[in-house]
Amino acid sequence: MNMDLHIGLVKDIDRSKKLVRTETEEFSYDKLILGTGSYPAMPPIPGHDKKGVFAVLKDISYLTDLQEKLKSAKNVVVIGGGFIGIEISDEIKKSGVENVSVIEIAEHCLSQSYDEEFCVEMEEHLRSRGVNIYTGSKVVSIDGGEQVDGVTLSTDETIPADIVILGIGAVANSDLAKKIGLRIGLTGGIVVDRAMRTSDPDIFACGDCAEKVSFFGGNSSALRLASIATLEARVAGANVFGIKRETPGTVGVWGTAVGELALGTAGLTEKMAKAHGYNVISAVNESVNRHPGKLPGAAKIRIKLVFEANSGILLGGQVRGDASTGEIMNAISACVQNRMTAEQIAMFQSGTHPLITASPIAYGIVNAAEAAIGKMVKIKESA
Amino acid sequence: MSRLLFIDDDIDFLEVMTLFFEKNGYDVETATTPEAGKKRIIDHKPDLVVLDVMMPSEFEGFELAREIREDMKLTDLPIIILSCIHDRKQVPYRFAPDKDYLPVDVFLDKPVNPDVLLEKVKSLLGEYREEPSHNL
Repeated sequence: MNMDLHIGLVKDIDRSKKLVRTETEEFSYDKLILGTGSYPAMPPIPGHDKKGVFAVLKDISYLTDLQEKLKSAKNVVVIGGGFIGIEISDEIKKSGVENVSVIEIAEHCLSQSYDEEFCVEMEEHLRSRGVNIYTGSKVVSIDGGEQVDGVTLSTDETIPADIVILGIGAVANSDLAKKIGLRIGLTGGIVVDRAMRTSDPDIFACGDCAEKVSFFGGNSSALRLASIATLEARVAGANVFGIKRETPGTVGVWGTAVGELALGTAGLTEKMAKAHGYNVISAVNESVNRHPGKLPGAAKIRIKLVFEANSGILLGGQVRGDASTGEIMNAISACVQNRMTAEQIAMFQSGTHPLITASPIAYGIVNAAEAAIGKMVKIKESA
Repeated sequence: MSRLLFIDDDIDFLEVMTLFFEKNGYDVETATTPEAGKKRIIDHKPDLVVLDVMMPSEFEGFELAREIREDMKLTDLPIIILSCIHDRKQVPYRFAPDKDYLPVDVFLDKPVNPDVLLEKVKSLLGEYREEPSHNL
């Protein structure tokens, strides 16, 4: 491939002359793609700038400093019980820190993307690994002198902390785009169309820096995931010299794993679908991912599928299990993106093998769809 | 005519904003302290608030946003935070709207291009009309 890589800090872009300037060089362009990423989000809690308070920043020297300080820490508090919060807290606990606590403001960790039963299982799993979890708890101050020594919750409870880590999400880094006058959206990202074009037709943007719309309903989406970023990069890259692709919007597909327990989600949870106004039917299937189920490496897999009740269209699904959860989650995403109905999923032709999949008569996605069809039929019969 | 309330301790900034937004057809009110701003909100019921953060220390604007939502129960009043806190503090992270910790609609950094602020105001008041694409 005829590509050159230059590493430098872009200082300015001259849109009229189509020039990109770094401190030392100047590059001309016909088409330009911005991929400036994101900043960690920080809640405005008094004490956020004390020594010992860290965000999850994509910067090697910053994270190396955090790792060094963790070596002598006894008490670590992680604010935010999303996937960043739970994974980092488990890793810190594994490294030998005595007390690790996760503070989540919602009723459950992971509740923005998983229904309650999945969240509770992960919370119990984390507790069994020695992590303290405080849910429904708001941090009102980060305490101490120059150096942090604890946090205070809205219940007046205080938790000691040598280190506080923030994991509440990310916001677009659109600084450069703002500087050159591109349109910025309500969530702070660079406004793009479905072809990833910005308000300047010769400039594209993709990834965390770009504004996103939801696959469901088309409203602004605050989701920032590597999988979304790479999809958008494939769209922007293909479109540079002629529009060939459009993004369908963010479905919201992501997994998390702590020890042996993995969770995966794609699309809307039952709670989110109801909040969205959909009439929902959900069904759960539990099966084993080997057949017979006593084969080495077999694990219990639970799949929950959420359908729109009248059309039978799949709105989302969640999986819990072992490492095989990842590809099941992605199969559900393919069904969601193609707006497959329960009937179509029930007709899904799966390949099976005793050592690598569930049995053909206990295939989780298919059987969850069948269970949902059964519920839909009952409702129609009783109507 | 929509009524905007700017709360900021920078009097020069308030003057510039008043001139600009009045020219664009808005009724503009100003307050230079959070307390005065709160009184204006109660007495004059603005349609949108543009709020500074550091008045003068660090958290006055954040605290007022929380009070507007939680104590005054004005959950539908659009709030734009307009602040130089990121530049002033030189922090490696960003404050951003968050329903629990920062209940505002938009966070903008100062200095802001008045046209950008106007677009956000119009969007939040449902007055924004994007130019249709003519080549599709």
